[in-house]
Amino acid sequence: MEQKILIVDDEAHIRMLIEQTLEELEDEGVEFLSAENGEIALDIIQKEKPQLVFLDVMMPKMNGMEVCRRVKKELGMDKVFIVLLTAKGQETDRQKGLDVGADVYMTKPFDPEVLLGKAREVLGIE
Amino acid sequence: MAQPTLKSILGKRSETTAWLQSWSEMTKSAIAIEDNQKNVLFGTLSSNETQAYPVILDGEIAGYVKGDSNTSIIAPLLSLVLQKEAERKKLGTEVLNLYQELNVIYNFSEKLTETIDPDVIAQLTLEQAMHSIPSHSGVIVLWDEVSRQLLVPATSGDTLFNEERLRANSGILLKIGLSGQSEILSDLSVLKDKGIIESDVHSLIYAAMKVKQRILGAIIMAGKETEQYTAAHLKLLVTLALQSSTAIESAFLYEKNIREVREREEAILRIHEVTKKFVPNEFIRLLGKDSLTDVKLGDQAERIVTVLFTDIRDFTSLSENMTPDENFRFVSSFNERLGPIIRSHQGFINQYLGDSIMAIFPRHPEDALNAAIAMQKAVHELNLERKSKGLPPIKAGIGMHTGPLIMGITGDEHRMDAATISDTVNTAARIESLTKYYKSPLLLSSETLNHIPNQNEYHLRNLGKVQLKGKNNLLSIIDCIDGYPDAEIQRKAKTLSQFNLSMNNYFDQDFENAIKGFQAIVANDPEDRTACFFMDNALKFLKHGVPENWSGAQEMLSK
Repeated sequence: MEQKILIVDDEAHIRMLIEQTLEELEDEGVEFLSAENGEIALDIIQKEKPQLVFLDVMMPKMNGMEVCRRVKKELGMDKVFIVLLTAKGQETDRQKGLDVGADVYMTKPFDPEVLLGKAREVLGIE
Repeated sequence: MAQPTLKSILGKRSETTAWLQSWSEMTKSAIAIEDNQKNVLFGTLSSNETQAYPVILDGEIAGYVKGDSNTSIIAPLLSLVLQKEAERKKLGTEVLNLYQELNVIYNFSEKLTETIDPDVIAQLTLEQAMHSIPSHSGVIVLWDEVSRQLLVPATSGDTLFNEERLRANSGILLKIGLSGQSEILSDLSVLKDKGIIESDVHSLIYAAMKVKQRILGAIIMAGKETEQYTAAHLKLLVTLALQSSTAIESAFLYEKNIREVREREEAILRIHEVTKKFVPNEFIRLLGKDSLTDVKLGDQAERIVTVLFTDIRDFTSLSENMTPDENFRFVSSFNERLGPIIRSHQGFINQYLGDSIMAIFPRHPEDALNAAIAMQKAVHELNLERKSKGLPPIKAGIGMHTGPLIMGITGDEHRMDAATISDTVNTAARIESLTKYYKSPLLLSSETLNHIPNQNEYHLRNLGKVQLKGKNNLLSIIDCIDGYPDAEIQRKAKTLSQFNLSMNNYFDQDFENAIKGFQAIVANDPEDRTACFFMDNALKFLKHGVPENWSGAQEMLSK
């Protein structure tokens, strides 16, 4: 099945940076989807069922924690790998992130090498 | 970074695809788009021979638009789209690089907080620099104020500088290392001519490490390509250098601080140790304090203790025949022998008063008696040594008394001293002076004796009572003969009971029998001067009678 990555962040430059970091995967056939808030994200996840989602926590309308909870706990979509992204200084939310079912928790500014590595790992493309 | 392809802009969901779809429907044109491998990316190829319009990116053909003449406009449009996409990607890559650099600086800052060792900081810095700015070799040099040398706490990669040549031309390294400048060098001819760097080095980049205006050193890196380093590299290197400079400066200050604190602590400890030797620790502890620094004017404590005095007989006449230096050494050798004995019997020396020592035994009175016995024997040993050197013997007297003692810190704000005040001290001193009178070297009071449980272990002779001047109670004086050499103890022990019997006769004023008894004792031991003393007294009283109101108790003469 076609591999899809969903990038969710209200800041355009972060969306762009993540896309840029994962660019080589696009050349390898992975499709990139993006959303600028939680509501749109939830919609896309249900329709497109991406394998990997990068989810910012601090967003208007619906924040990342809530999206993650709905996807993992309510909808039970455990095939979707969720990486929660948050600004430094909110590391105490790490536990909360794991409670709502997030698979990985990363802080911003993210390390591009680590992000790319994790994406390859999850999608099974080395 | 790969260039965008037609495929990448004509994905299922791309806006371009959607637009082409609409256009195609609106104009009812047949259109097909191929990449340069003849893969169809959009539309379908019709069998009609159609035109093929090339789509170009950066002077190269990315693919073809095939269709009727209406589609001619599409190829240049797609070229434009591809170009814009390429520009977007390029910008994106540059922004990502900057983002990565930011990440590096954040992480580096964090790493720096984890160590306080300047060498480790230098190594971490060079590691980071070599990782972010690929180079063939790198080195960090720091100027050491103390040794006035250039130190090299970190190196990486191939050896950058030829050491031997460098020392011969140290001026050059100093110029780079301590210039306070940061730059990229491309003209390395001077360095190569002098053989300081290898000829295959074609680029050099260095950044000054400084804090405010002070130059600590520099990070220097080299590469084999020409124009290997860019302005962006220099900017990053300067940033890393500045971060590590403050960290290294702090580390040096921290080390200096720790050193100074340790030295101060050691100095205080030394002073402490010394003060213990001047004011006895035991005294301070008896006041309930831990150290001299806790003590204050007015601190006092009262205890029942045994006070012991020892004195060198005829010191004045002895000292006349000695120089001041000999005098001092004479008294010193005496004190040096007796001090340890007192301490090993749980006593402490309260004061050295010229030729006499005042000691205090706070625990058990028998400590004092045992110490006195050991001291007397020690003096005897000393005299044997003196005899072999042709020196006259030292005669010492020891007296002790037990009673309450007030010890405290007296004086004024600027001059304090440890003092002891009580009758007990005076009495002990007087008892010591009685050793001269009774011609016995070791005397103790009944107060002391009463607190000694195992009196049978000692050989004791009762010398009668004394009246303390200004007091009503009478004190018995006891002579202990255990300090003599063993042979003498045996001799005196034989006549011990006879002695005590004769003393009873003496006090009962039965002088005839007393004299008889003493004579027998003296016959046994002509050296027994105490027996002689009482015998002479008895003879005198027999002849002339006793004085009025003679109760047998001697009036205590003043010391």
